[in-house]
Order: sequence, then C-alpha cells, then structure tokens
Amino acid sequence: MRIGLLTEGGYPYARGEARLWCDRLVRGLGQHEFRLYALSRDREQERAGWVDLPAQVTQVRTAPLWTAEVDGTWYGRRARRRFAEHYGDLAAGLCAGPAAGPGAPSPEEADRFRSALYGLAELAREEGGMVAALRSEEAVRALERVCRAPGAPRAAREARVTDLLEVGAHLEQALRPLSLDWCEAGELGSVDLCHAAAGGLAALPGLLARHFHGVPLVVTEYGVPLRAHYLGSAEAPPAVRALLAAFHGRLAAEVYRSAAVLTPGNAHVRRWQERCGADRAKVRTVYPGMSAARFAEAGERAPAGGRASGGRVGPGTLVWVGRIEPSKDLVTLLHAFAAVRLRAPGARLRIAGSAPDPEGAAYLLHCEELAGRLFPGDGTVEFVDMSGPGAPPLAEVYAQGEVVVLSSVVEGFPVSVVEAMFSGRATVSTDVGAVVEVVGGTGLVVPPRDPQALADACAALLNDPERRERLGEAARARAMELFTVEQNVAAFHRIYLEIAGRCPARRIAEADAAEPRPFAVPAELRVAGAESVEVTR
Amino acid sequence: MNGLDKRERALGAEGAEGAVAADRADGADRADVAGSAADSAGGSSAARARHPRGGGAAAGADPVKALMLRHRDLCERAVDPLEIAAGLEAHGVTDRTAARFRHRDVFSLAEEMYARAGRADGDGTPAGPPPAAGPTPARWAVRALLPGALSVLAVAALRWTTGEARPVVGLLGLLAVVAGVRAALGRGPLSSEGRSLPGPHDWRTPPGARAWAYLLVGYALLGDGLLHAGLTGGPDGLPDGGRYGDWPISLAPLLALALSCAPAAWSAHLFRTGVGRKLAGSRGLEEFAATARPLLLGVVAVHLAAVSGLAVLSAVALGEHSTPAATAALGALLLIARLLTVHGFTHAPGVVLRAVGWTEITTVCLVFAARLPGCGLLSQPVETVVSVGGAHAVPLIACGAGALVLLFHACRRLALASAHAPAAPRPPSDR
Repeated sequence: MRIGLLTEGGYPYARGEARLWCDRLVRGLGQHEFRLYALSRDREQERAGWVDLPAQVTQVRTAPLWTAEVDGTWYGRRARRRFAEHYGDLAAGLCAGPAAGPGAPSPEEADRFRSALYGLAELAREEGGMVAALRSEEAVRALERVCRAPGAPRAAREARVTDLLEVGAHLEQALRPLSLDWCEAGELGSVDLCHAAAGGLAALPGLLARHFHGVPLVVTEYGVPLRAHYLGSAEAPPAVRALLAAFHGRLAAEVYRSAAVLTPGNAHVRRWQERCGADRAKVRTVYPGMSAARFAEAGERAPAGGRASGGRVGPGTLVWVGRIEPSKDLVTLLHAFAAVRLRAPGARLRIAGSAPDPEGAAYLLHCEELAGRLFPGDGTVEFVDMSGPGAPPLAEVYAQGEVVVLSSVVEGFPVSVVEAMFSGRATVSTDVGAVVEVVGGTGLVVPPRDPQALADACAALLNDPERRERLGEAARARAMELFTVEQNVAAFHRIYLEIAGRCPARRIAEADAAEPRPFAVPAELRVAGAESVEVTR
Repeated sequence: MNGLDKRERALGAEGAEGAVAADRADGADRADVAGSAADSAGGSSAARARHPRGGGAAAGADPVKALMLRHRDLCERAVDPLEIAAGLEAHGVTDRTAARFRHRDVFSLAEEMYARAGRADGDGTPAGPPPAAGPTPARWAVRALLPGALSVLAVAALRWTTGEARPVVGLLGLLAVVAGVRAALGRGPLSSEGRSLPGPHDWRTPPGARAWAYLLVGYALLGDGLLHAGLTGGPDGLPDGGRYGDWPISLAPLLALALSCAPAAWSAHLFRTGVGRKLAGSRGLEEFAATARPLLLGVVAVHLAAVSGLAVLSAVALGEHSTPAATAALGALLLIARLLTVHGFTHAPGVVLRAVGWTEITTVCLVFAARLPGCGLLSQPVETVVSVGGAHAVPLIACGAGALVLLFHACRRLALASAHAPAAPRPPSDR
C-alpha cells in the first residue's frame, strides 16, 4: 500500500514532537510505501534538518506553518465574491450555536462549517493560493459582521478590532494547508491511505484528500489539539478565545467525522474525542510503543534483585525519574518521603531527572533546598542529573530502585511508569492522566497532591518485598503485552489492512480503465508493494 | 439550574467508590487490586479530612461551589465548558475527582461550573485589553541617529579636505551615510520587523523602489546645480565637491535628510503606537478608519515640520542658499513611501517614486536636448518654471505632487485594519 503520512512540527525533522513513533512506524512497516507530508513549526526546526529516512519513504514534501509566501495576485471579482461568501459562512459558523460550546456542534452547524471549509479549499485550489485573501480586509470585515450579528455569543460581541485581527491572523495560519498543492492527483490524490500523526492542522491535508479524491483517513492522536489550544491561549482576550475555540472545536469534529479510524493514544484522549463528536465505533485505542529492549536485563533479573534487596539491611530505595518541572510536584514527594522514613527507617530516595528550561531549573533548586531542610546531613535523598555526559544509563537507575514513584499533578502518558513496568518494578503513582489505565492493577495509585496517601503506599511496598515482587512481575508482563513497539506497529498494520479491505481499490482501478471492472484487482494487491502492481498489470 | 439538578439526581446513583472500583477491575493481580483500591480510598478520606469542602458526601455544603471558588479565575474567564474542563485537568482534576462531586466525568462537572459561573457574572462586561506597549525606544533611537551623525562627519571631512583627496572623501562619506541609512531602516519603527508574515502584498522593499529613492536623494545633491549649469550653458566638467564650482553640489538637503531619519523614526513610532491604541479601543472597522486618518496626517505634518526645520538649520550651518520646501517635500515623500512599504503595500510607493524620478530625469534631459539644432523649444517649460521659482522649483513640484498622491493613497490603505494585522502565534502543542 502507499501511505501518505501527515505530520505537523515533528517527523521527519530532527527536532520536534512525535518523531520517535513515526520513525518506528515507518521502519516497522517496510512492506508499505510511505510518502511524508510535513508541516514545520519554526525556522529552527527547518534548520535542524531531517532524521535518516529509510528506503520505504519514497517522497517527502514539507511546508512551513510559521511563514507563508504571498501567493500571487489578488483574486478577480468573482473569486473575491466566492471567497467572501465562504469565509463569511465559516465565520458565521464560529459565532452561531448555543452557549454549550464547541463540544459537539449540531448537525446543521457542522454542515455549514464543512461546506465553508471545502468551499475555501476548492477556491484555493482553483486560484492557486489563499494567503493574501485570508489576510485581506474582506476577511476582517466578515469577522466583524458575524461578531455584530444578533445571536452571537457575548464574548464575540465584545470584540475589538485588535481581537478581530488576531483571530484573522490565527485563521490564516490554520488554513495555510489549503493553499498547498499536496492534494493533486500525483500527490495525496494517489495514495491508498492518509495517516495523520496528529489531529488538528496536521489532519487538514488529509481532510482535503478525502474530500477531493476519497482517500481514507486514519488519525492518531497522542494529545488533544483542542485541549492544547485551550491551555495555550489562556492569556488571549475572551473574544479571541471564544472564536478560536469554536474553530478548533469544529475542525476537530470534522476530522473525527471524516476519519475512517481514530487511534487515540490513551483513554484520556479517547474521552476528549468522544466528547467532540467522534463515533465510538471507529475509535481504537493504540497505546504508544516504547522500546523494551534496554530494560530487558533489569526486567529479567527483577525477581533475584528483589530477593537480594529483601535480604539487605535497609528496606530499599524509592526512585523518581522524569523531567523536573513544577507539575511533577516533587515537593509533595519530598514531604511524603519524610513520612515514609518514619515507617521505613533507612529508606532512600533517588530523584533522577533533568531540568532543560529555566523554570524547571528554579524548581529543582527549590526542591534541593527543601530536601536539605527535611533530611539534613545524611545522603538519604540523592539528585541525579540525567542530562550530563556522566549520567548513568536509564535502565540502571530503574534497576537500582525497589519502588518507582510518580508524584505528578498533571501527566499525559506516564513514560516513567511504563519504563518502570518494563524493568519489573512496582510503582506508586498519582491518579492523573492515563496512569490508571497504564498501571492497571500492577501498582498502587493514590490521589494527587496528597503526601499522606503517597507515603502510606510507598511505605507499604517498601515494607513488603513479597508483594512488591509480585506487582513487579505483573507490571512487566502487562507492559510487554501492551506497550511495546511491536504491538504499536502491529496495531497500525492491522488498521491499514482493515481500511484497505473496506475501501475500493480506487487507484489501481482508475489507472486501469475508464469504467470500473469487477474483479479487475485481486485483493492480494492491496498488501503488496507498488512494484508488484506494475508487474501484474 | 433545573436541568442541572435533574442531572445531579440522575448521576447520584454512581458513587465515587463505584467509579474507582470499576476503573481498576481489569487488573492482573486481583489481591493487589483490592489493596490498591483500599489505599486509594484511604487516600481520598485523608484528602477529605483536610479539605472538608471537597467531600461529595458532606451534608449541607455545596461542594461544587467550593471548587468554583478555588478555580474562580478559570470559571470567570472561560468561554465554554470545555475550557473549564481543560483547566481543571491541568490542575489535576480527574474523572475520579469529578465523581466526588457527583458527576460522571470532568466534562459534566465543567458544564455545571460553566452554567453557574455564567449566571454569577452575567452583568459584568470585561474591559478591553490594555494597549500594546511599543518596543523600548532606546533600541532603535541610536540607529535612527546614525545617518545624521555620519553625514555631519562626512560634510565636515569634505570641508577640511581640498584637492584630489576630495572625491575620495566624498565617496567614502556617501558610502558611510548609505550604510547608516540601511542600519536605521533595518530595525525599529521604520522597519518591517515584527511582521513575520506578509501583508496584502509582499512587505520587503523591492530593489527598484530603493534605487529610485536613492536617485531622488542624489538629485537633491546634484540636480539643482546641474540644471542651473545646463540652463546657463555649462557644465564643463564633473562636480569637484565644492559649492562654488561650475557644477555646484548642495550638501544641505542631504544633511537635512540624513538628520531627519531620527524624526522619521519617531513619527513612525508615534504612528505605530497610536494605531495600536486605536485598534484596541475601536469597536468597529469604520470607527478605526475614522481615527486612523487624522493620526496619519498628524504624523506626516510633524515630520514635515521637522524636516523643514532641519533643512533651514543645515542651510544656515553650511552657508548654502537653499529653500527648505523642496527638501521637506522629498522627506515627506520618503516617509510616506516607507510607511506604506513596512505595512505591506509596496506597489504604490514603487510606482510613485519611479514617476517622480522620471520627471526629474526628463527635466534635465530636456534642458540638454534643447541644445540640439532645432530643438530649442524643448527647454521652454523648464525655463519658465525655473524663472518663476528657481532651480528648486523642479524637485519641489515633482516631490510635492508625488507626496500628495502617496498621502491620499496612504489615507485609504493605512486606515484598513488588515494593514496592521499581527503575526499569528505559534500553534500550541499537547504531546
């Protein structure tokens, strides 16, 4: 199969998000042909270059999201009228609707948004671009009109001209993929399947390919773009937030509606998707895969290690691993550890992490100071810098602990917990993000911001080697079953085949004859590479 | 609230413990499931003991109200329930926490909070955003003074040197001043910095427009002398850099224009901050346009006055006979062209500068073409103009007309709100 992989701000760039899993996906599915369509986020990312691409990547197209060339001329009068009409519809769709928000727009609103979006896409395709029009006075005027219209939400009615301009600039940026020529017949028009590595803007070219050429779309979301938008735009004026939230909500709803299969990375993302109108029938949770190999040694010898540490004098070591930042709530951990020391004297705490940004560095300083106050003199609390050249290997850090602890108040997919599970270590985590579904029954889960509960759970495990060992074994078994790279790649392979089985073999049939011939394309062709298609014909 | 009450009753059946137990039912180690549930329940009760308002079972108290008090900011500024849900999750509220408030999940809890907060501050209208603060002047003020300082040095050097060194000094001075001008236009209000995105047209200065602008300045330096010499039968050689020769050069306009980079930057800064204030204060595009035009006219008037003053001062200082009007017209023309260019309108300034430049070139060419046999009539219009207003009248008329046309254009274009659109922010990420 030929797969169009759509990314935004990540793969194939050497810097950015979602690099690793895209790379593993592409390398893991060597039997397919991949075409990459990547949107870059900033100049630094473009300068940093690409990662090494395997041979199955036959084509890479990139476009910047952070800047745009002015695409040629002003529109003619008819094109301008069409633009004003569609853009006005789009804007009206943002302001219409009940105060209940963009959660799940009503069918009429969704239809209106959809027709306006595809209307703009068709116009951009015919005229060869849309950037100038999206930044023109007509666009601002359309926004002003809908904000002043009766029935607009209160926040939109308050909009000042600056707010309108900000909304317009944001929409222009968001709609830049419409101006790209990625949806032509030789590009996304001729792939068998579009796989968007994220929702939101990354999926927009996929939407267009589906609209123009009927290419099925798979959307993988490890984070929720809508949620990120809410958290990222907290400083903006209310009118801007209201309109943009409506836009991203409608866009998400359209992506979820159009996608053949949605693969959220965890149940938390799935809940947001369902809330935004995703059909449960096409949602398949595919957990992110992580490389288990480097933890194999620690995991295999876990039982022996457990017994050995049980035979030691002290009750053992608590290990915390991660990026140091305030949302990890190390302060609660330190206070909890003070309580643990009362019930399990001799216990030690290792905090292994790095603080890449200044905020994290300040927080680390604060934590070190607090640790110095709580546990003066003795080396019971040890801070290990994982960013330096002399840092110990990650697997070793896990192997040296008896219990791995996570104290975050906010968390997406808890990477350190999964790594601990691979290493066969019992975990104590706070109940945030996807922790509960990751841990299952193989560790203890406590409420966030609750030092006493955290201390109780840690002390219970430190004082009970039997239980710790049993939990560690179960954790490793669960992680090997659910969170390996292999299961991730295999899940996507199955999804690709499933979609190929459901959708007509359009590309080959079209190339073959003007009128569709039944049984012209044997089903096996879908599985084979493009070369064998040529041979058969 | 009726709807909410009904939903609360409907959801009341699912208690907190039920949700917690259900989420943990699929464990591998059944014994430890019980253990972890017990631990978790113990933790919850501990949390409840320390936050009595947070307990769902607390009789009489309104737990959601307490939660709303804790997240008052979030509730007041939220534009829809999902924003509250996102904010609550960022503060560590999960579906298990929501269950304590008798809600199925964070979304329904957020919906209740949004509905109740919406009623609470229904009459309050949020104030407009504060006007955007401009960049600190210190950054670009030095750069804006650079061309003036360099030109003063260059003129002084030219005065002190004589003979063969003079053309070399003049050329070096000219290059230094050009470099200073480039530096002054590269940063600050006279540059297009901060506009990482194109405007309605490409915002980079087209090379053609830049060349024509230099040509107009060059005419101010050499043109009047050449025209005068041409009408009186000269010149017999290239200019020697002095003001009494056969082809005199007038340094005063050049000095005044170079010095006027500072007031030009200041004017542009005034315009930029003024527009920012008007944008934040206007409720409609018409209202903005009506306030932006007087602002533009005022800024151009301020600059005109400043250039005139500088032209008089430099003429007095250099002891040259020069009228400030032509210099002021050229200064105004260049400022308006620059303002249009940095706001993304590069087409009109290019056309007008080219037209003005061709007018001046044609004037000089006509004078010399009239020397050809039978073409004496060609220089008649030029002679008429010069006899009425002097040699300065030619650039005054050309630049003045150009400046008026551009000003008219700018009054229409720069009053459009889209000309002042900001760059879009980086998209946020949640991965």
